Amino acid sequence: MTVPFARHLQHHATELRVPRAGALVWDDEAVHARAYAADPQHYALSALTPGVPATQRARVLLQLLLASRAGLGDPARDTLARVTRVLALGLAPADVLTVLLAVRRRRANHRHVTRTVLTVLLEHPHAAQIARARRGVAQDCLEHALGRATARACADALRRGDRPHPGRLRSALRPGTMQLVADLYRRNDGTAHVALPPAGGDLDLTGPRPATVTATNRGDLAATLVHLLRGGPTAELLPAVERYTGTAVAGLPRYDGTVALVLDDSASMRGYGEREWAVASQVAALRRVLDRVCARLVVVRAGGGQVGGTGRPGGATDLATAVLDALSGPVTPDVVAVVSDGYENVHPGDLARVTAALPGAGVPTPVVFCQATFGHADDLTLRRPAPALPRRTFWHTDDLAPLVLWMLSHVDGPAAHAWIGAELRRRLTAAEHALTLPTRTSEGGPR
Amino acid sequence: MNLPLPAGVDTTGYRLGPPQRAGALTMVPVFGRAYPGIAPPRSGLKLSRVVTYGQVELTNPATSGVAIVPLHVGYIQDAAQNHALCRSAFIAAGQTLRFDDACCVQESQGGYLAERDQWFFILPVELRAAALRLRGTSQYSKLWGDIAAFNARHGLPARGHLEQVLTRKRAVLTQYQSRLELLDGQLGALFFIGDRLAGVEIAPDPVYFAEVWMALVCFAYGPAAWFAAPGPDVADPDDTFTAGTLDGVRAALERRRRRVAEEVGEWLARAAWRLGSPGGPGSPGGPGPTGEPGSLGELVEFVEEERYLDLRLSTVTGAAAGGQVVTDGSRLVYASLFAAA
Repeated sequence: MTVPFARHLQHHATELRVPRAGALVWDDEAVHARAYAADPQHYALSALTPGVPATQRARVLLQLLLASRAGLGDPARDTLARVTRVLALGLAPADVLTVLLAVRRRRANHRHVTRTVLTVLLEHPHAAQIARARRGVAQDCLEHALGRATARACADALRRGDRPHPGRLRSALRPGTMQLVADLYRRNDGTAHVALPPAGGDLDLTGPRPATVTATNRGDLAATLVHLLRGGPTAELLPAVERYTGTAVAGLPRYDGTVALVLDDSASMRGYGEREWAVASQVAALRRVLDRVCARLVVVRAGGGQVGGTGRPGGATDLATAVLDALSGPVTPDVVAVVSDGYENVHPGDLARVTAALPGAGVPTPVVFCQATFGHADDLTLRRPAPALPRRTFWHTDDLAPLVLWMLSHVDGPAAHAWIGAELRRRLTAAEHALTLPTRTSEGGPR
Repeated sequence: MNLPLPAGVDTTGYRLGPPQRAGALTMVPVFGRAYPGIAPPRSGLKLSRVVTYGQVELTNPATSGVAIVPLHVGYIQDAAQNHALCRSAFIAAGQTLRFDDACCVQESQGGYLAERDQWFFILPVELRAAALRLRGTSQYSKLWGDIAAFNARHGLPARGHLEQVLTRKRAVLTQYQSRLELLDGQLGALFFIGDRLAGVEIAPDPVYFAEVWMALVCFAYGPAAWFAAPGPDVADPDDTFTAGTLDGVRAALERRRRRVAEEVGEWLARAAWRLGSPGGPGSPGGPGPTGEPGSLGELVEFVEEERYLDLRLSTVTGAAAGGQVVTDGSRLVYASLFAAA
């Protein structure tokens, strides 16, 4: 996955449409085709990057279904089959049906298309609801997969209680799914309109979040750091911080590169009232995670308390100078991650001006903006110091691993490529687990 | 840069820090010698009760340390008529003081403020000259007309309800305490709205200033800044750095920082509040109005109002600015001065 394609996936969110008449509307088809051709496995896995909008994940599914897998080795076919299955069952059925209609419109008849259609229509946890909600579309998709005559003959056979042909359908049928095919061809029973079910799972793997956010229910690591910053007992809390940091990085690959962290340590990071230390604790947690994950982590503070060397937030926010300092060190970092609440006052716009000037100054190092917030509903209108920078918000300990993935997705080079590939494979397995999918081989059978 | 304070007030030891900016509001931090023994306003000053509309009692519950009531402090509470004071005052440790010249700032709200759940603000700068002028006047509704005009100027219903701004705009106003940041050791600030000096706030020590910081930046100067430039900062597309090297970018940044500092210095020099001096023209017992037009002695009234041991609380009234200052001899202890119009 190239850096431009990673950014494209995050930001290009136009709709994929299959009009009743006319051609499929897919405005970035060439971009997807190129990325697939360059590295099919990495391309497929890229759909599981947190933050990729559903409409882009649907495009990846479409590309995976349209392309022939002839000539690919078993590992690649296996990866593509697993990602296809996760997307087919994890995306919202409305998006998946659009993709299947698009495949039909393009007359793509690969085996993996047939398998995916049968997966959606017969194995989806809400398959019956999908069939009731979009009976016509589901019939079209099944007939595209099996052939019209075959599909209808199968349905007739099932209605009569006979064993259907062909074998590829038979292998997908189980006692609970035979009725689904028969029902698909039942005449309209006049029942009320049925809505399509929502997405089968959260492919971002966000995890459970509190309905009401407090300073100490934003993940174990951040909560413990809040207590530490409030002055809690270090003998009890520091070992817990180490333990929770270990949990946060568990399974994350080691990144053999250099990350520079511009850490906003200004007065506003402390917060006040019930939110005191909430943002600072999450930033401290990110620093600990990066310290464990990266071979080299360079930290440059912007601001920071001066009285008695307290190491507590204090001072004004000069992010621009800190970015320049991060880039001027003895080791050029692979990426500069600015971590801040977004309040820049020395002076507003300086971070944007400096980062905009870097390419012209011959500095290709990417700069990304990691915005620490209190919760999911912060008003960030006044907190966008450099709108042109890639930006991702975080507020929960479970956001940290996806944040590191997003950060490194802006880095070109073999170390980042290897790290991203390994992490996305880990997320693929986690997604399969979250969707409670049995792991399958490239041929669709149990491994 | 010099502090724009009345001539004769000793500002030795005070210095200005680098400016910070958020939208239309620029804040220049002030550092200096702390004056010990003054009770800070949040922990050392309590609103004990509202006797009746326009009469407010404040208490200094501390066992030592005189409290200097922040000029134009006000208190807000749900289901009660919010009040603000028109003047500063001294309250010795353990004393309660009744202000008969307080003003209601919420025209049609009934109920008296009580000790529970109170938070304080400082009157928006646009109302402070009127409030200062009305000190000593016992009429609880005396500021409603000015509040209504203030609201109308900003497109809000023309009513004597300050809460239309302080409460309903609270989400954006409170962000000023994060958009501008209090520095370690800071005991004062100059506030500019756009290029115009709007206020000079000097506290006795950093603790006092930290406790009054939110009330000042969010509610005294925040509303004017917000109404002048609501919304996020918008970068000037022509204000870019062009440099061929990293060092060149750094040099461009430093040049811009110098330009901003010089610009703020020019604003300050241009402000020329000409505030006269203690014992100067207009002051009781002071020399006659001998100042030449344009000289520092051109104005004004500098009227001593209260004493506490060696401390003197004086009101400064001029054409361009006004406010109150506390001095110990010539040494500055507290100042809250603001543009008059």
